[in-house]
Amino acid sequence: MTRLIPTEHELHAYVDERLEPARRAEVQAWLAANPQEAVRIEAWRADARRLRAALAGFGERPSDPHLDLAPLRRRLRQRRQRRLAAAAVLMLALGLGGIGGWQARQVTLFAGMLPMADAVQAHRLFAEASTLDIEARDPARLQAWLGTHFNRVGRLPDLAGYGFQPVGARLLSNEAGPAALLVFEDRQGQRISLFLRSPGEHFERMPTGQRTDGQLEARYWSHGDYNFALVSAVDDTRGEQLRQALGVSL
Amino acid sequence: MHDLDDQQWRELLQRLRRFALWLTREPGTADDLVQATVERALSRRGQQRDADSLRPWLFTILYRLFLDGKRRERLHARWLAWFGRGQAEEPAGGEIESIVLAQADLQAFARLSPEQRALLLLVSVEGLSYKEAAETLGIPIGTVMSRLSRARAALRELTEGNPAPPALRRLK
Repeated sequence: MTRLIPTEHELHAYVDERLEPARRAEVQAWLAANPQEAVRIEAWRADARRLRAALAGFGERPSDPHLDLAPLRRRLRQRRQRRLAAAAVLMLALGLGGIGGWQARQVTLFAGMLPMADAVQAHRLFAEASTLDIEARDPARLQAWLGTHFNRVGRLPDLAGYGFQPVGARLLSNEAGPAALLVFEDRQGQRISLFLRSPGEHFERMPTGQRTDGQLEARYWSHGDYNFALVSAVDDTRGEQLRQALGVSL
Repeated sequence: MHDLDDQQWRELLQRLRRFALWLTREPGTADDLVQATVERALSRRGQQRDADSLRPWLFTILYRLFLDGKRRERLHARWLAWFGRGQAEEPAGGEIESIVLAQADLQAFARLSPEQRALLLLVSVEGLSYKEAAETLGIPIGTVMSRLSRARAALRELTEGNPAPPALRRLK
């Protein structure tokens, strides 16, 4: 029997038509048996009805052009596009700044790096040294040694015509991989060196060129898979001819 | 929201505006509230609703915006009070006042607290389920029931020409 007495919440749900049909019938029966409660509930219902009636059309206004769906969507789309555009401009600015900065960094970083600077350096360190990896007076031996380390290198020319004999060679390495310093000497003990290595990251398409570095003259070029440099004394007049001979042959 | 025709849209707007008017009792503020609600809804395209759940969803957005505005207002009022300038409680807009005076049935309703008005609007006028009303107002369903009970009792009392003391308006 207690199941039949509706709670206050159920009475509200009854007014709002939110009860299950079965329960609704039970509440209806209970109200029929309790006229006092029925009056109270009916008053709620009447209040709600009056409220609905009084508020029908309330807040109605002819038409608000600001809130018509199509123009509103258009405005929102425009606003979104403006935001996207602003974001894009910002990204572009940041991007350009970043790329520009990176480029500037590269420029400053490599401003001090000259092509085949390592060749000049190697010449300074080892050309006069007595300790080379191999002592090879015989050009054929030097060629063989070179072939074991650099399998795509051409033939070493015979420089005897220019007065130079091979002294030896030293295997070096740098960031681009193995490098070799080949040392030649003339009868007066004047030494020149040929440096070769794989192209470095920054000098992959190294232009042919020539530069003076202190007392040394470096002539450099690229051929095949390697970059070459011939380093000789600045005042050695045979430099250019040697360079041509090596360039043709290697 | 994108498959509504203009007629449905206008009707929806009117419902939103009615809700906003009774919350704010200030036509200007109500219009701003509706506009902000619609813009927010349209900008959340990821949360597209079907026609049935669209209405409660819009009411929810509007009510949240209303509460945010109230919070800011209270903060503002506290600052004003701090500087020695008190502010009158709940100034009522002219349009609402005239409508309320013209319709006896609304006089009692107008004297309910904003929370009670909001709930009765959602449940009795807009026909939202208790669950939807609870979600819209951001309160548990139990609170919806007890608030509904108090709101109906208060409305009854006010309608019977038994004006409650002004303190009733502050009831939650």
